[in-house]
Formats: sequence, C-alpha cells, structure tokens
Amino acid sequence: MRHTSISSGNVARAAAIAVVLAVGAVACGPEDSGAKSAGSAASGTPQKGGTLSVLNNEAQTDFDPARLYTSGGGNVPSLVFRTLTTRKRASGAEGTKVVPDLATDTGRPNADATVWTYTLKDGLKYEDGSPITTADIKYGIERSFAAELSGGAPYLRDWLVGGAKYEGPYKDGGKGLDSIETPDAKTIVFHLNKPEGEFPFLATQTQFAPVPKAKDNGTKYEEHPVSSGPYKVVKNENDGEHLVLERNPNWSEATDPERKAYPDTIDVRSGLDQAVINQRLSASQGPDAAAVTTDTNLGPAELAKVTSDKQLAARVGTGHFGYTNYIAFNPNVKPLDNPKVRQAIAYAVDRTSAVNAVGGSSLAEPATTFLPNQKAFGYTPYDPFPAGASGNADKAKELLKEAGYADGLTVTLTHSNAKGGPKGPEVATALQDALKKAGITVKLQGLEGNDYNDTVASTKKEPGFFLRGWGADWPSGGPFLAPIFDGRQIVQDGANFNTGFLNDPSVNSEIDEINKLTDLAAAAPRWGALDKKIGEQAVVVPLFHPVYKRLVGKDVKNVVISDWTGVLDISQVAVK
Amino acid sequence: MSEALLTTGAGVTTPAPGGRLFWRRLRAQRAVTAAAAVFALLVLVALAAPLLTALEGQNPNAYHPALVDSASGGVPIGSFGGISGEHWLGVEPQTGRDLFARIVYGARVSLGVAFVATLIQVALGVGLGLFAALGGRWADQIVSRVTDVAAALPMLVITLGLLAVAPASIPRPVLITLIIAGLGWFGTSKIVRAGALSLKTLDHVSAARLSGWGTWAIARRELLPALAAPVITYAVLLVPSNVVAEAALSFLGVGIKPPTPSWGQMLTDANTWYQAAPTYLLLPAGLLFITVLSLTMIGEGVRTALDPRAASRLRVGTRNQNKPTGPIESLEEKAS
Repeated sequence: MRHTSISSGNVARAAAIAVVLAVGAVACGPEDSGAKSAGSAASGTPQKGGTLSVLNNEAQTDFDPARLYTSGGGNVPSLVFRTLTTRKRASGAEGTKVVPDLATDTGRPNADATVWTYTLKDGLKYEDGSPITTADIKYGIERSFAAELSGGAPYLRDWLVGGAKYEGPYKDGGKGLDSIETPDAKTIVFHLNKPEGEFPFLATQTQFAPVPKAKDNGTKYEEHPVSSGPYKVVKNENDGEHLVLERNPNWSEATDPERKAYPDTIDVRSGLDQAVINQRLSASQGPDAAAVTTDTNLGPAELAKVTSDKQLAARVGTGHFGYTNYIAFNPNVKPLDNPKVRQAIAYAVDRTSAVNAVGGSSLAEPATTFLPNQKAFGYTPYDPFPAGASGNADKAKELLKEAGYADGLTVTLTHSNAKGGPKGPEVATALQDALKKAGITVKLQGLEGNDYNDTVASTKKEPGFFLRGWGADWPSGGPFLAPIFDGRQIVQDGANFNTGFLNDPSVNSEIDEINKLTDLAAAAPRWGALDKKIGEQAVVVPLFHPVYKRLVGKDVKNVVISDWTGVLDISQVAVK
Repeated sequence: MSEALLTTGAGVTTPAPGGRLFWRRLRAQRAVTAAAAVFALLVLVALAAPLLTALEGQNPNAYHPALVDSASGGVPIGSFGGISGEHWLGVEPQTGRDLFARIVYGARVSLGVAFVATLIQVALGVGLGLFAALGGRWADQIVSRVTDVAAALPMLVITLGLLAVAPASIPRPVLITLIIAGLGWFGTSKIVRAGALSLKTLDHVSAARLSGWGTWAIARRELLPALAAPVITYAVLLVPSNVVAEAALSFLGVGIKPPTPSWGQMLTDANTWYQAAPTYLLLPAGLLFITVLSLTMIGEGVRTALDPRAASRLRVGTRNQNKPTGPIESLEEKAS
C-alpha cells in the first residue's frame, strides 16, 4: 500500500529532503576529516567556538522528530535529535555505515530478524538535565503515528506489528503500541511483522529520537523540541525559515563519538535564492565566511566560473548521494510494450549529452545500472544494452527493424517543465536528438512540476515513456529496488513507483529472501545481482547518477562528506 | 506606449500624403533608412534560415557534446563561446548546439510571431473600431466597454493563465500569436473608432451618405484611406512590443517549447551564463535590442512622414508652400 523507499510523494522531494536533512557524515577521527574536499579552506586544526551560518533554499519545516522525513536522521535535525543508531560521520564510503548513537550497538536481531533489541548507553540526558529513557523513545515513535504529526517515512507503519492500525498516543487511551516493549528504562524491543535485516538503518531516522511525554504539546512541539543532541533550539521563526541553535550544556558528549559540535551557535537561514546562496558563499564576506549550505548545488554556469578560479575551486566539496535518474517505460502503452523497442531506445541514448544537460561530468556520472555506483548499495557493474558514450544508433535501428519498425517510429517523451532539473526539458531534448539518429522521432510533452509528479505516479494516467529519478532513504539496495520493481508494491490508488508494472515472482521472492539477511555485507552483492537481472528486462534505462558540488565559506574547516548524504555534515564543521 | 500614441496620433482630419510623397518623406530621414536596412536584413536572415544554416553546414537542434567542456559545467571549448569556421557564432553551453543556426531559426519565431500577431491585432482593431463608430449606439456601447475591459486586463497574468490551460495539441507558436493578438487589439480599435467618429461628421462623408452609399462603401472609400496614417503608425510600433511580448513569455518559460529556438527562450537559458559564456547571452539580447530599436525608429519615421506638420520640417514635398504655422515651428524659425 505504501511505497517504501525514498520518496514519499515524489522523488524530487525526497531527494531534496534527503539532501537537506541528511547531510551528516562526520569523520570520526581527525585524520580522515576533510580528506575529500575543502582543501586549503579546511587547513588548520578545528577549534570550538564561533557561529556557523547555514544558507539554505528550503526551510526546516515541521521541525518535530515525528514529522521529519530524513535519510539517516538529517543534517540539521541530527544536531538536536539523537537516535538509537546514526550514520557514521566519515567521508566517502566509510560514511555509509550505521553506527550506534543512543544505543550501545546497532541492534541485536533474533534469528529471522523480526525482533530487534536495543540497550541505551549510560549517562544520557536531555537539555534540561533529566535522563533519557527507552519509554521516551517508544513514545517518540508512537507520536509519529498520530495523524496530526504526519510527514515521516512510512516504514514504521509497514514494519511494526499492529502499525497499520495504530493511530498514535493521543487516541489509544494510554495503551501504547504493543509491538514496542520497554522491559526497563534502558531496554527497548521491536517486534516486526516480517524479517527486516535493515532495521538498524531505519533506527537512524528522527522518529527514533526520545520525546519526553510531559513536554509533548502536539503540533506545537516543533517550536521547541527537547534536545538530546549537542545543540538546542533557541529560535524557530516562520516554521523553520530561521532556526537558531545554541550549545546544549547537558549534551552527553562522552557518549557521542559521532558529532563534533565545534561552533557555539548555528544559525540556519532559509528561503534564499540558490544563485544568491552561491554568490554569498563565493564572496565569503563578513559572516558568510563562516557559512555553508546543505541544499544548494553549484549550477553548470557557476561551476564553469568556479573551476576557472583555483581559490574558489578549493572551497568546493564534492559528494555522492545514492540517486539514479532514468528513463521509465510503461509497458502497457504501445509501442513500448515491445521489449525490442525499449531495447532500441536503451541502445540509442547518448549519456554524454544527458549528463551535459544537467551540468556535465562534474555534476553527474553516466549510469548503466539502476543501483547507484557505490558498494553499499551492492553496485554490480553491468550494461545490458551497451550504448557507449554517445549511443549506438546502428544497433538500435537493427532492433527496430526486428520489431517491425524498419522505417522508424514516433514516440512521445513526457518530461517535467522544471528548467535545469534532471527530469526537465534539457535532458528531454538531449534524448530527442540522440534517438533521432536511430530513426526514432521523439515528440516532447512537458508538464508542470506537480502535474508531472502526479501523472507519472498514477497507474491510470502514466505515460509510456518518461523521465524519472530515485534515491534511497538509506544506502542499501533494498529501498532502492523494492519500490520500483516489487510487483506487490504496485499502488493502484495513490503514488505508484513501480512504473514498469514489473510483477515477476522470482524478483519478488528474491527481495523477501534478501530482506531476511542481517549481514548487510552479504546482502549487498545479492541486491547487485538482482539489479542486473531486472536491468536486462529494459523496463527502465538508467541515465546518470547526480554528483553534488557545494561551496563553503572561506573560514570553514573540517568538511566531511559521506556517500550516505553527499553533502557536508554540519556536526563536523568548524569555523575557528 | 499605446496611450502616448493615442494622443500623438497623426492628424486624423488632415488627408494623408500620397504614396510617393510618403516614401520621399520617409527616405529623407536617414536614421530611418538605416533602421529599415537593418531590419530588412533581419527579416531576410529569418526567411533564409534554412539556406544560411545549410551554408554553414549546421542545424539548430543537433548536439555536439565534444565541443563543450563537460567537467566545467559544459562551457564551450575555445574563445568567444567556441567561435570557429564550422560554428560561426560559437556553440551553446551544455549542448554544443550551433548558436548561429539557433539565432537565425530563432529569428523566424520571434519575428514571425510578432508580425502575424500585429496583422491580427490591426484587423481586429480596425474591424471593431469601424463597427463601433458606424454600427449605431448599442454597437458602440458594447464594443467600447469591451475595449475598456480589454485595455484594463493585466495582459501577462491572463496570458500565463491561458497558456496553462490551452490544450497541448495547438502548436505553440500559433497559440502564442493568437494570445498576443487577442490581448493587444484594443489600441487600434480606439484609434479607429475615434477617427471614424470625427470623419463621419465631415462634409464629404455626409455627401456620400446622402448620395445613398452603403455603410461598407463609406467605410472603404471615405474612412479607411483617411485612417490609414494613424493605423499604420500604430501598427509599426506594435511590432516591437509584440517581439518583446513573445520574448517575455518564452523567457518566463511558457512560450515556445524546446527544442524550437526563440530569442526570448535563448535569453532565459543564457541568463545564468553571463559570466562563463557571455556571447551566449549577448547574442539574443543584442538582436532583440537591435530589432526593437530599429522597429521603433521605423515607426517614428512613419509617423513623421504621415504627419503633415512634422513632415514640413523635413522640407520634402512642401515646395515652400506650407510655411510652418504652429507655435513650435514658429519658435524654431526664430531660433534659426
């Protein structure tokens, strides 16, 4: 019934959220911090103190742990909310790992991964000095089931026994959700209705942050959520447009090896134009010298300017967030019901042009696999329809001939009208030009943003040939493949992400089998193998994986960018 | 602009100069001749777009990924936006599409939409204006009120709304032409109505009516020739405003759909590139500027040539008979 994985309403939104909230990989030791980026700017030993400015486009709306939809607990949210587990704050692939946060380990499963047990560390306190208990974590999760506190990821509802029917603590008459047990103040046990080896990933989300029942004032809780992390909220204006965080004196630093918390104050300003953000970071004047952004990429033209300026180039952080942009087919629409036609298109695509359309090789990498090109996702290189860098028009023509379209054919490509975006007119026209060389005439149909997202996610209105993107809530193959290719996740009424209507029993059962694995290292290659098997059916044609390029102010040190989030982790940044 | 024109409209009650005299007066204004030459060149380029691009050996929609530096955001390789023997004006960032080909094909859209929209505006304006002036009290009331309402509509907002709901099956250039025309006819209509109403009271028109001429014949033989001057003047000035309207719509992303080039659409794509690839921005911006400036100068020249008082200063075709009589002209006489 619900689309799991990344994107709740639409992928773009999920990606944005993931990016905004999820930035948070921190290096765990000084030796690997800043390894990847921010070279000269990051020199010198990071020191405590100062004010870090965060200049963002999107506001931190609904700053309530029950309502935030994050990947790995988010970037700004993770400064205030500690969770049972969290992301490892390290650059690159190391940062895709799950590590304990409030808990002593990443969780102890039973034999079939349906029961997960956690124990809290000693000495955990809220901002007011009172102790954190497992009852508060249970309460925090229960709150997220309340209709008035909606917004979080759907997994808890899907996975917890009784979750589908539970309506939250305000309506349960004090009974709570039975599938979460708290035998004592330090132990919490989760009962799931099916094996979920990736439960530790889910426990990084803000819904797993403790909420003291006595301080819960419903929808107003977001104005001053009680902090368990290194910072507390001292100001929240305009629903997260301006957020001021100051040091939480009762943060149990000794229990938190992940968050570094160098600045004394963090000032998050949102609602800024993206060009303005990049201009301010590039100028780095006054307080902007100690500024970063967690949601604004460099655009192609800005990149052209930055790469020609060595000093600016040294201030650019590069990151990879697991995301894939692809061509999606609806096999119920002629002529795309014919696998040969889909394969012909797969052979004809010019990935160089498509990559250039979104800003070139620094901002995107060509993709032939659906899984992102990272080990954590189980990346297994394969290329079932080798198109080379610029398309194989001859092979495409050959297939079209076999399919009975020797004289070429005309298809309509539906795209979003959002200019400059990965599903926008630029990518569409690049594909149009490439397919023309193979004798395929592409008519373009542009739809406005919301209309586009609704249309392609509706089983009734879904077009035959369109652009789509997908990212995962955590770095693993499961949330990447299941919503798109699991036949049981075809959503008839509501947002459907299995746009190819793939319902292959062998794929479905393999997904179930892998979900039983609690050894993530063993699961990863199986996701990779499954990806390859699905890829050969040409229900999607992967185009590219986006790359993030973000400027930081000139005084910013200790830039850590994990492959989990792709953007710098605020909890690691120093400005002194 | 339309308001100013309404008040400066060439003297409706004065007979327009004959065709030959008009051309002589027009040619006497050197700036206008230059503007006309520039504009004629632009029209020629637009008409000959397929020939010119064939001569260059390019087409406006073909991608050339090898001509842009992918790692630097797709900035054109080479100086001045990648200008070369193959690509006369360089290539577009990110795509490597030929800018010369896009510019000349873009001219077709920009100028074509503006011209056709102007023709429709004039036809609608003249028709409705005459209908209001000659069709009786009720016709006048209805047309005049509709004109007032049309003039008061926030054109851009309405256009955005119309473009959003229009079916995708209508070709975009046609749709934009119709919308620009449909929302910009009222100026002509007001001029024609006012002109026709004052002409109607003149003796030669009354005489024609008394000799039994029908309304249509009077309109065609007595009113239209006299209305030609103000209408032509206004129409020439409508063209540049229509060029700008198309550019604005394309700039806002609701105009011409990709991959069809138009100058306005090129401008919007180029606006982030002003530092990294300035030629990309300067080409469509400069051409729009030149087009609008030359058309405005031509419009001003036409107005001057058709206005006997202004024309007298040109000393063309007056044979010194018409000594300036207006107060301004007298002052000028004294000053010289």
